[in-house]
Amino acid sequence: MTGGQTPVVTIEGLVKSFDGRTVIDNVDLTVAPGRIVSVIGQSGGGKSTLLRCVNLLEKPDRGRIVIAGEEVFAGGRVVCDDLARLRQSVGMVFQRFHLFPHLTAVENVMVAQRKAAGVPEKQALETAVRLLKRVHLAHRGLAFPDQMSGGEQQRVAIARALALQPKVLLFDEPTSALDPESTREVLRVMRELADDGMTMVIVTHEVPFARRISDRVVFLDGGRIIEQGTPAEVLDHPTHARTREFLTSFDEITDQETHS
Amino acid sequence: MISWLQSHGYWPFHVAWSEWTSTLLDGLLKTIEYAALGFVAAALLGLVLALMRTSRIALVRLPATVYTELFKNIPLLVIISVTYYGIVQFGIKLGVFEAGALSLAIFYAAYLSEIFRSALVGVHGAQREAAQALGLNRWSTFAHVVFPQALRLALPGTNTMLVDLLKSTSLLTVIAAGELMAVGNSVASQTFEQMEVFLVIGAIYFALCYPLSQGLLWLERRVRAGSPLSPARSRRLRAARELLETA
Repeated sequence: MTGGQTPVVTIEGLVKSFDGRTVIDNVDLTVAPGRIVSVIGQSGGGKSTLLRCVNLLEKPDRGRIVIAGEEVFAGGRVVCDDLARLRQSVGMVFQRFHLFPHLTAVENVMVAQRKAAGVPEKQALETAVRLLKRVHLAHRGLAFPDQMSGGEQQRVAIARALALQPKVLLFDEPTSALDPESTREVLRVMRELADDGMTMVIVTHEVPFARRISDRVVFLDGGRIIEQGTPAEVLDHPTHARTREFLTSFDEITDQETHS
Repeated sequence: MISWLQSHGYWPFHVAWSEWTSTLLDGLLKTIEYAALGFVAAALLGLVLALMRTSRIALVRLPATVYTELFKNIPLLVIISVTYYGIVQFGIKLGVFEAGALSLAIFYAAYLSEIFRSALVGVHGAQREAAQALGLNRWSTFAHVVFPQALRLALPGTNTMLVDLLKSTSLLTVIAAGELMAVGNSVASQTFEQMEVFLVIGAIYFALCYPLSQGLLWLERRVRAGSPLSPARSRRLRAARELLETA
């Protein structure tokens, strides 16, 4: 924790299981304001579930979740009286974008402002246009999702998640469904957000990107945090065999790709 | 011209249609009234049934499923006879118009609920989740995310049903509902020109249904293209265009 600031996200002793299979096993995680935490690990290791528990899209079995000083989950139940408001302060970007296909890009960025936060039309539009500019897509504002590339859709999704001025942005494998060029576009936008001081939790397979952008890297395996620390600690000098194994498999793939 | 055709035996009509014009117009108007009221009521009931059928609670699903299966498998003609003649035995006497419109609503709600249900299910679950993640409550999620997408999926089937319903109003002739077909029967029995009368009645139905189905196709295309249907959305997109151009 830095300088005694209230953490944006505090997770304590989080447990979540599906049909008797434990997916999140006693996880603690703290994210301080302006910090970027990357969560890496094998598919099925509980990374996405962890993220989905933060905004309570998934209801944990046990543990405690505090968002910006407000306890939202404790003692096995949701204690937040206004789930919608909680979710407005936690922006989420999905792997497959999930833009609303019946709305244009600009309307996608407007809809939550209008319908969840009650922002007046004119102001919502101005915010939407400003955010589309920020993700370098002002020229695509009137396009429908099916007219846009994956990278463009994901950037609109980022703008949409930013529209309610969230205190933290959650990214669930934001580039896994994208081609290399689109991946670059999206990572660029994420880096710019990082430079602007946005608090972010990023579930990703992009190890080099995680190394560059993160303040802290968390390696999650079998629902447990195996180790966490600075990118240098976790990615360059992992202390656990399991982490080394995981990172080695990544290096092998990268080697194969560069040699083929 | 007409008199020349008539005097030389080339005029194909034997019925003096000019004498029947106002009767036909009355019948046409009745047909439209039955169709409009029947369809609106069927659509509302169908939507309620569809929502019930997509409920997580079995006790809510069950009555809707029973309803749909029941009325999908009974002929409309039987439903009309029951609502008008049958229930009289239980002391309930509905007027012709009420019984007619109600029969259409009961019958078509069953079909529309199937169309609406599959449309609601057809909206990807991730869309609801994305809406929730943005802080939209249940109602806003339905109204602004699920419903518009379900509408797109439901339109083709719904449009077919609307045209079908319009044609089925002709069955109401069995309760002398005064609609177009009933008027046709009455004209035919007074003129003894069955062939001519029913061809003309058929032509009127066609003139009603064909533009309607073409209009609905046009609407489908617009909705699929995402074109604004409300003035509010037109204004919003215009304002967005202006702002984006200066951006």
